[in-house]
Amino acid sequence: MELLILPLVLALLSYVIPSKGVKYYGLGASLVILAVTIGHLLHFNAENYVAIINPINDLPFGLSFKLGYDSLSFVLVLLVNSVVPLILLANFYKELATNKSFTALVFFMQMGLTGVFLAQDGMLFYIFWEVTLIPIFLILYWFGEQNNNRVLLKFFIYTLLGSLAMLLAIIVLGVASHSFEYESLAIYGAIAPAKTACWISCGFLLAFAIKIPLFPFHTWQPATYTSSPMAGTMLLSALMLKMALYGMIKWMIPLGFTGIESIKWLVITLGLIGVVYGAVIAIKQNDIKTLFAYASISHVGLIAAGIMIYSTTAVEVAIIQMINHSIVSVGLFLAADILESRTNTRDLYSLGGITKLAPNFGFWFATITFVSISVPFTAGFFGEFLLIKELFEAHWFAGFSAATTLVFGAVYMLRAFQLSMFGAPKLTAFEDLKWNEILVFAILLATAIFLGLFPQFVIDFVKPSIAKIQELTSYDLKIIK
Amino acid sequence: MDALIVIFITALIGLFVGMMKKPNLTLSISVLGQSAALVIMSYYGKYDSTFNEFEGIGFDAFHWLFAELVIGLSLLITISGFHYFKKEIDHLADYYGLLLFSLCGALVLIGSSNFFMFFLGVEILSIPVYVLVGIKKQNILSSEASIKYFFTGSFATAILLFGIAFVYGATGTFDFSSLQLIFDASSPMAIIGILFIFAALLFKIGAVPFHFWSPDVYEGSPDAVTAHMGTVVKVAGMAAIVTLFGHIFSAASGIVVPLFYVATIGSLFLGYLSALKQTNFRRLIAYSGISNTGFAMLTLFSGNYVSLWVFLLGYTAATLGLLTISQVLAKFNSSEIENWKGIGYKNPFLGIVLLICFLSLAGIPPMTGFFAKLILLINTYEQHPVMVYLTLLTSVIGAFLYVRFILIAFAKDSNAEKIAIHPLHLVVLSICALTVLFGWTLILF
Repeated sequence: MELLILPLVLALLSYVIPSKGVKYYGLGASLVILAVTIGHLLHFNAENYVAIINPINDLPFGLSFKLGYDSLSFVLVLLVNSVVPLILLANFYKELATNKSFTALVFFMQMGLTGVFLAQDGMLFYIFWEVTLIPIFLILYWFGEQNNNRVLLKFFIYTLLGSLAMLLAIIVLGVASHSFEYESLAIYGAIAPAKTACWISCGFLLAFAIKIPLFPFHTWQPATYTSSPMAGTMLLSALMLKMALYGMIKWMIPLGFTGIESIKWLVITLGLIGVVYGAVIAIKQNDIKTLFAYASISHVGLIAAGIMIYSTTAVEVAIIQMINHSIVSVGLFLAADILESRTNTRDLYSLGGITKLAPNFGFWFATITFVSISVPFTAGFFGEFLLIKELFEAHWFAGFSAATTLVFGAVYMLRAFQLSMFGAPKLTAFEDLKWNEILVFAILLATAIFLGLFPQFVIDFVKPSIAKIQELTSYDLKIIK
Repeated sequence: MDALIVIFITALIGLFVGMMKKPNLTLSISVLGQSAALVIMSYYGKYDSTFNEFEGIGFDAFHWLFAELVIGLSLLITISGFHYFKKEIDHLADYYGLLLFSLCGALVLIGSSNFFMFFLGVEILSIPVYVLVGIKKQNILSSEASIKYFFTGSFATAILLFGIAFVYGATGTFDFSSLQLIFDASSPMAIIGILFIFAALLFKIGAVPFHFWSPDVYEGSPDAVTAHMGTVVKVAGMAAIVTLFGHIFSAASGIVVPLFYVATIGSLFLGYLSALKQTNFRRLIAYSGISNTGFAMLTLFSGNYVSLWVFLLGYTAATLGLLTISQVLAKFNSSEIENWKGIGYKNPFLGIVLLICFLSLAGIPPMTGFFAKLILLINTYEQHPVMVYLTLLTSVIGAFLYVRFILIAFAKDSNAEKIAIHPLHLVVLSICALTVLFGWTLILF
């Protein structure tokens, strides 16, 4: 329970801290949450399900506030609780860090995200899913660029539209199975008539496709990422997007299982279109933040396509790749923000030659670039390689289009790096990295290399709960010919 | 019944004390009286589920909930309006007296168990409001509103009476419980009767197609009176509609359900779509009220009235909160949305309350508005899935509307002069915000 209550309490507390100490408080508090999470990890056996709130069955309207975690949920909770300190650390010397509302909203966001991953009840999942929208919206609005109202309105309405489609799907399921508890929903999902199940999965899909975002639903994303403050972009891309990918694994596929075959190739196609489309657009971008936003579309398209294969390997690898994507997006958006805040421009052609002025930054930006293009011994290499393999087994063309990400990724990332960092210096001075920024980059790199060398840690950890989910759907793991 | 008498006596005392132009005393007396009524009501509700009926007035568990809500709302309205009433010292007595008399009407309407009391309730509820709407005599909008409301309102009342006469002609009784037994849906006379009654009640709650009065009237009235119309009158009207068309005339459901469809869908869409282009805050609230009436009418499809009550709780608390903020901003002397620009920075507390209220109206969890809409939809889905699809669609339009307003209210480029809040407003706003935030927990009991 403290996983959920603690961020909320800390969020409220941040209003009583004197403004001078807020940034220390924020960082310290997020580390406390991380410590508590690690404490849970030490007592946790990957095969268990730990109940936080047991379902209360006699509530009116079929509500049952069931909360708990299995290993899949726990990995993502751990991800959230480790990325939030990183975001606050990266943000440490910015003006934003001294803002009480900002710190409170980040913790509020953390509460919502944790809730999404802990929810074992359809209604609760939806509630937390929506709750996360409020703090991110306020962070983007209060601390983002001026006059981004149109962008924000688009973001809000888009995500709300998707969420309401999901709400409808959950209501349909819940009314049919007379309970919103995950197991009973999943059991209904395994036996539902294919047509109903197809509509249900479409409802979930709309919500997730908008949040991920998949190809035709992505139009809110680049502008929102670009106009938001660094921390907001990181929260959006490193954490919020993972809710949708997690939702696909845990909610969409098992709950609409009998109908999933009919939308499987649709999602894979959209994901792969996203891979190519995002990459091609990223190659032509001159605004470095927009470039990274499109790169993100490209990366997550691959993950979404991989999840839809839904073989055990694909799902496990998708989780590795989700973690990798968090690492990459925190790193890249930090780099983009360092460039922007020190040069007041995001235009690649006005930058250049920064390696000479700031060798440290050059080095760390290079490492995160390499992590992003998935060189061997980083998590991305393992993740992308296996996802592409799984897609190849499903269909050669799917595998082929997915594999283009390796080439395109190198093109746009190296282009961005080259234009901004190499060549003749166009600036006279560039302040090198501060300790906190180096620390963030170092942690990210260490995690990426660790996961690249020992991905089995995570895979073994999530295996039991993925097996459990697949057992619920009695899916026989046959590889689709 | 005792609560009703207490409120009536309070209204009389308030009227005379108000005439002596002692605002503080008037406020204290009316707050005291309404709190006493609230306590008496709760006392009965707790120990006595079937009230002793007194000539056609009685509160069962369901109506008791509505009566409590109405008294609580009226209490908050009298407190929130005080700052304004005090300035209009000549009309002090009118405000307090008429608001409380109108509350008496609401209670009679909610508790009525025959058509005689029902009609009395409607009249006692409406007539003071006609006067209150036009109380700003120098203001041309106010006079327009009053004339409009009075003429259309009395016309609606006439139609109601006409309908009651038809029903009486067909069945020969006024009493609800015997009506329920002998009502014959095949009699054309009875059908015409209930159609008339239905139309009149739709007018009272401001649902499509009888909604045209509400934006003009809301715009012209003082904020407290607008709040009274948007909350107390609406709650009482909804309770009456549910009593009549959910229980008494349930035999005629084959005829009225298509009409519910039209009224509900019409209210939902027309309300939000018309609200999109409004530049005046009170007109916006009026149109959003029309849509929310549509939401409330969903309950007629499912027959689960607890969800209606929770919905009304969330909706009225949010509306009252917003109209109280409008009173805090009254120094601008107009309710154009422009004036709301940047109030989140001029006074963060107002900003937070505004945020909570609008998010609740938009149906974003964890506000009461969300849970209320949720249980309404869950209940409706089984029998009328199409209604659920359409309602969710309108929710998107509504959310767009409300979020756009939030963006205005927190706009940065404003001369950040602070706004001071009157302590009484502070109390009302806090209560509203807490209700909106935590009211949904009442579902669990």
